[in-house]
Amino acid sequence: MKPDSFERNQALASEYVVGTLQGSARKRFEHWMMESPRLRRQVWYWERRLEPFNNSLPKTDPPAAIWNSIEQRLFGESTQPSEEKGLGLWFWRWTTGLALAAVLALLVWTPLPPQVNHSMVAVVQSEQAQPLWVMNASTANHSLTLKALPPVAVDAQQDYELWLLSESGVPVSLTVLPTEGAELRITLSNEQVRELLKSRSLAISLEPKGGSPTGQPTGPVVYQTQLVEM
Amino acid sequence: MNCDNERLVTLLAKSAQGDRHSFACLYQQTSAAVYGMCVHLLRSTDEAQDVLQETYIQVWHHAGEYHADRGTPITWMMSIGRYRCLDALRRRRHHVDFETVEAIQTSEEPGPMQETDAQLDRQRLSDCLKGLDERYRATIEMAYFRGFTHQELALAMDQPLGTTKSLVRRGLSVLRRCLGS
Repeated sequence: MKPDSFERNQALASEYVVGTLQGSARKRFEHWMMESPRLRRQVWYWERRLEPFNNSLPKTDPPAAIWNSIEQRLFGESTQPSEEKGLGLWFWRWTTGLALAAVLALLVWTPLPPQVNHSMVAVVQSEQAQPLWVMNASTANHSLTLKALPPVAVDAQQDYELWLLSESGVPVSLTVLPTEGAELRITLSNEQVRELLKSRSLAISLEPKGGSPTGQPTGPVVYQTQLVEM
Repeated sequence: MNCDNERLVTLLAKSAQGDRHSFACLYQQTSAAVYGMCVHLLRSTDEAQDVLQETYIQVWHHAGEYHADRGTPITWMMSIGRYRCLDALRRRRHHVDFETVEAIQTSEEPGPMQETDAQLDRQRLSDCLKGLDERYRATIEMAYFRGFTHQELALAMDQPLGTTKSLVRRGLSVLRRCLGS
């Protein structure tokens, strides 16, 4: 049921911002937010009101390598310290000051080599060998494209949820899968790409509408598949 | 709006027009706050760095969607980062640090909420929190600063899930009435 009163909107918006609204309820709320300017304004109200919480947390300079990774991902290049790039000397003094920290950080944080792209594909089939989904992963773009083929249908009260089977054995939720011929493209985090390259294993479970309410599979795992290099 | 915010709004606006220099300045001026929050919530520098990257990539792509109703630019960016942190926490629910929770509940040292400074909005939030019933304040604090779910809050406070949900909802309702007054 959609929130339909001012009080209900307030309650849900505050729980969304604080973070206690979760699972399928959180996903449903995000969907309602897309439709309702009033609900969005309630969320913004709480974000503004609770901002002092964030200000009370200690600031921490991130490793300089992070900025290079962001530039690499956004623009396909990493800025070198030069005046011609137009950033100004102060920025590079700041960056250089963190150089040692960056080197140390790189010892424990190993970003994906940006020049290496792994294109992988998986086809999920039914027991009757009927193709249900085609999945394409591109590590350079951090993307996973999921296309549902026409036979894919699901009960109105349920959704198929896609999980990355990490080497640690803990499934990581990636998304609720599209059905009935729809296509969906999701962006993977660095951590997810690293895990995907290691395990290449995906599983699909049947979950309540909107996805697992717990963050872990609650329904039966109905399909498993392996991504293979193209 | 103070000078800092005016400058950040300008940098965001220029970023929305594709000005990479402004985006770099924006990152330089705000990333320590966003990263500090991520490290605090996630307790993992690896994950915090991933979230920081995702946050600024989203900021670059959506800079044009910022407007004053979202709060200051830093409010908007912190919200983007915070929701990504919550997503990351939900993906690894088995890593809940309950020892830290007990420390928060029993410590008499000023917590993060008590350390909010004297600026008007901070002072109002701080005053309202002080006026809250201790159980309300503790649940809101743990949810916000640790990213706890209802179930995790119930476990941490050793009380039924239904009671915990009611506490959160009532606590937020009281807080809102106070903040809105």
